[in-house]
Amino acid sequence: MASGNGSVSMMDDYETLISTTDVELLKRAWRNEKAAPEILQYETALIQRIKEQIQLAEQNVEIFESNGIGSLTVSLYQMDLDRSQFLLRSYLRIRLQKIEKYLFHILKTDDQLNRLSRQEQVFARRCTDDLGSHLDETVLSRLPDNYQSVLKQSVTSEEDDMVPAPRLDTFVVCKARQYLSGLDFEPEYSTEIAELESDLLTFACYKFIKKPFEKGMIDLV
Amino acid sequence: MYARKGYELVKDFASGEKGQLQHFNEELFNQVVDQCTQHYTELEALIRKMQEESVDVRETRNADHYGALIHHLSLIRNKRCLMAYVYNRAEIIRNLAWNVGLELLELPEEIQEKFSDSEKTYFGKHSAALQSYMADLDIDLNVDMVPPKDPYIKVRVLHDMGEGILLSDKTANLARHSMHFLKRTDAEQYIARGLMEELTG
Repeated sequence: MASGNGSVSMMDDYETLISTTDVELLKRAWRNEKAAPEILQYETALIQRIKEQIQLAEQNVEIFESNGIGSLTVSLYQMDLDRSQFLLRSYLRIRLQKIEKYLFHILKTDDQLNRLSRQEQVFARRCTDDLGSHLDETVLSRLPDNYQSVLKQSVTSEEDDMVPAPRLDTFVVCKARQYLSGLDFEPEYSTEIAELESDLLTFACYKFIKKPFEKGMIDLV
Repeated sequence: MYARKGYELVKDFASGEKGQLQHFNEELFNQVVDQCTQHYTELEALIRKMQEESVDVRETRNADHYGALIHHLSLIRNKRCLMAYVYNRAEIIRNLAWNVGLELLELPEEIQEKFSDSEKTYFGKHSAALQSYMADLDIDLNVDMVPPKDPYIKVRVLHDMGEGILLSDKTANLARHSMHFLKRTDAEQYIARGLMEELTG
């Protein structure tokens, strides 16, 4: 969306203003979601605001068109709108694809399930039923009784050992928003990572930086 | 050798081109399932034998115990192979729903005939789940797959699509080989189905 508060005269103020518009926030959420191996917390309030702004911009473009305002202006607005819509769609799409991929893992724990929006939860439940019955019909119902679980290899398995889970030990490229000392990281990884310079592009194992990342101190790139 | 068939099944999947669906290998699949049943019969027979000899099934570590263990392990290995086969195929099927079309009939026939019956049902159900999510949010997620540069793009029509096709801002006569300047969101669905191509440069 046009963030157009042009009246701010100081360049610095302008920069901070730009970097906190909803579109910038969405871009950040989108980038993080795209790079993180696991599903992140759904940005309920932000997505709601973005949707309203997109609606507003759509109305504006229509009004401009009917008022016969120059086609260049209209197409610039249209382009801005298109970009925001792409971000929103892509954000939601990436999340759905992650949900599809780690269905059983996400539905297993409340911690994971609560990261989903209400609609995503409905979707995840439906998907699990569908995939479950597909697997059941094709494979599981044809195996001996003790081997029919989707989550376990057999009744003798003590824990769920057939659930595809995201790999938290993959590497990600990240950037700290501020200087991070050893205290900001999980104590168990203190030998792996001791500090992170602000704004320095770093290549790190996702699980080492998971804690400060979830607090918003780190951005993934 | 035990569990070799399961390995062949997974290899059959892995040797296919990435993201492309092969025919569902019914024959090999059934052989693996049969093997599972066989392993189970033998496993049960061994356990029964141990019970008849009145040795403690849980604690004893004799030849029969290890025999039974081998059958058990072969069985779960086969199960993993079977599940991996179906699960990974399901993943490709879901991607088809994203990239090609949400209706089974929209998919090219070459792809449709590679589905098993259960996979056809699954595709239908999964598409329905996606569609109801989109309806719930009132947002169409199947367009805008690539970041937009221009709101309009130049396309060439590859197949005869008939006259008077309704686009968001006009109706067009999309005859084969004709070139058009269309809204990107309109053209995308046709490009995905191979009915048009984008002209670049």
